[in-house]
Amino acid sequence: MSDNTTYGLAADFENPLALMKAAEKCRDEGFKSWDCITPFPVHGLDDAMGLKRSKVPFFTFIGGSIGFCTGTFIAWYMNAFDYPLIVGGKPFFSPVFPFPVMYELTILLAALSTIAGMFILNGLPRHYHPVMKAKNFAGTTDDILRITIEASDPLYDSDKTKAFLHEIGGTNIQELED
Amino acid sequence: MSSEATTSGAVAASGKKNWPFLCGVGGLVFLAIAIFGAISGAMDHNARPAYGLLVMFTFYLSIGLGMLLLNLIHHVFGAGWSTVPRRQVEHATSIFPVLAGVFAVFLIITYFIDNGLIWKWIDFEKVKDDVLYTKKSWYLNNTRFLIGVVVCFAGWIFLSHKMRSYSAAQDKDGDVKWTNKLVWWSAVGVIFTALTLSMAAIDWIKSIEFHWFSTMFGVWFFAASMRAALAITALVCLYQVYKNGPLTGLFKRGHLYDLGCLMLAFTVFWAYISFSQYFLIYNANIPEETFWYNMREQGAWWWVSMGLIFGHFLFTFIYLLFYRNKVKASRMIFISVWILCFHMLDLYFNILPSKRENYEMFVSYPFYISLWDIAAFLGIGGLCAWSFMRSWAKTQVIPVKDPRISESLHHHGR
Repeated sequence: MSDNTTYGLAADFENPLALMKAAEKCRDEGFKSWDCITPFPVHGLDDAMGLKRSKVPFFTFIGGSIGFCTGTFIAWYMNAFDYPLIVGGKPFFSPVFPFPVMYELTILLAALSTIAGMFILNGLPRHYHPVMKAKNFAGTTDDILRITIEASDPLYDSDKTKAFLHEIGGTNIQELED
Repeated sequence: MSSEATTSGAVAASGKKNWPFLCGVGGLVFLAIAIFGAISGAMDHNARPAYGLLVMFTFYLSIGLGMLLLNLIHHVFGAGWSTVPRRQVEHATSIFPVLAGVFAVFLIITYFIDNGLIWKWIDFEKVKDDVLYTKKSWYLNNTRFLIGVVVCFAGWIFLSHKMRSYSAAQDKDGDVKWTNKLVWWSAVGVIFTALTLSMAAIDWIKSIEFHWFSTMFGVWFFAASMRAALAITALVCLYQVYKNGPLTGLFKRGHLYDLGCLMLAFTVFWAYISFSQYFLIYNANIPEETFWYNMREQGAWWWVSMGLIFGHFLFTFIYLLFYRNKVKASRMIFISVWILCFHMLDLYFNILPSKRENYEMFVSYPFYISLWDIAAFLGIGGLCAWSFMRSWAKTQVIPVKDPRISESLHHHGR
């Protein structure tokens, strides 16, 4: 099997602690394109993998700011610019009475852009991924904890990486097709 | 227990100075000065020193109640992560007897010196023709007011004592029955505390301006109390991590981060409640309600209002949005102190202008911080610190045998 049809290597681990230890070793070894597949969230795995904080909050902030400005703008445009109208003796525009509009739009666009940001950063929607071709893939939604190292990683070398996965305690080591 | 208690007690005593003693004596001295000011002021019909004492009393009351609620909420939700900082929260609920003693000063002033000095409506001769008073007199009367005082303090002292003694009892035998008892008392206590907190806020703060109407006031005091309590929790825990203190290695980044998240949440909640109150009154625009805010636009109070909007809410909100500001100790110390300062300003804003310099013309007391206020701040604060440290020396630094302590020690915040 030549390298350009190989996606990478996968290895299974006994329990979350073993996975965590292995993840720390992968991180220290310097791998960049690799991932852990677990059937449930494992607390502390982000640190063990050396992941940086998610960039999703950035999308949330931008979305919220746009929402706030939009709310302010439409309240001003409709009530004070396009069709000035006296309602309840209030000024045409004031930051007080349209505030519910402003913050509701802030929340709405912040929430929507959070979801959008999550989809963009995860490359979703996506219907196929090479790890799905692995043996016992269904087991990773049940009781199998798996580490995959991708062939695109600069440190990847079919034999050496296989030995490395074996050394850090991985079992059922298998090659994944692209 | 005894050997364990001596160990943790020894940590407190190992410092060069006997801090609980110093705080207690200092507190008594400053409190005596503040009480002297309040009473001699009351004899001259000058309410300002008594109001300084009331603002400072409310400051520590809000911290105590916020801490009590944090503790109750922890048990009601079966929370795991907050088990490590919980012990500090429990110690802080030991301050209610001190507060009850301070409150007695207001009762003495009201019933023996000048009836209407603090709460104008207690001077019944003057308000008996006031239709806004007579319509509210089913609630605002001596009997109900005094029963309220007794129920509030008796309930808080009883509840906080129960919570603390059960939690300390679990340190000895690790029996899970204590946790079940704590949960039961918390479920009852959280309803009791919510109701009495609202009643206290209405009786002792809002009724200064008994002409006014607001349905948000109790919730405002709850939101403000939680912010103050969270800030103090963060400060107390960080102090015990500082220079290899007793919480080193126990109170970790995750706990600090989650405290920061709660501070952010309650910043938004406080703003939501405070704004809602303003918004309803602004939109309805009826003089029975608007005068309260009009009085707070006079002179320096305008700048205090702006300070609350931009300092207590906007700056704090944006600051706490950033992850790094919630996990770095120095930055959390800064924002906690910031929140406490603005919380104090918020209490001045809600209490002081209601006492009018010229009653008929709606002229409120000007905003300034007097020396009596500072004496009251140091006095009540010293006694509260004494109470905290005395409670601290009696127990382990964390609930060592709590069923959820392991979960909390391995808490990962991200």
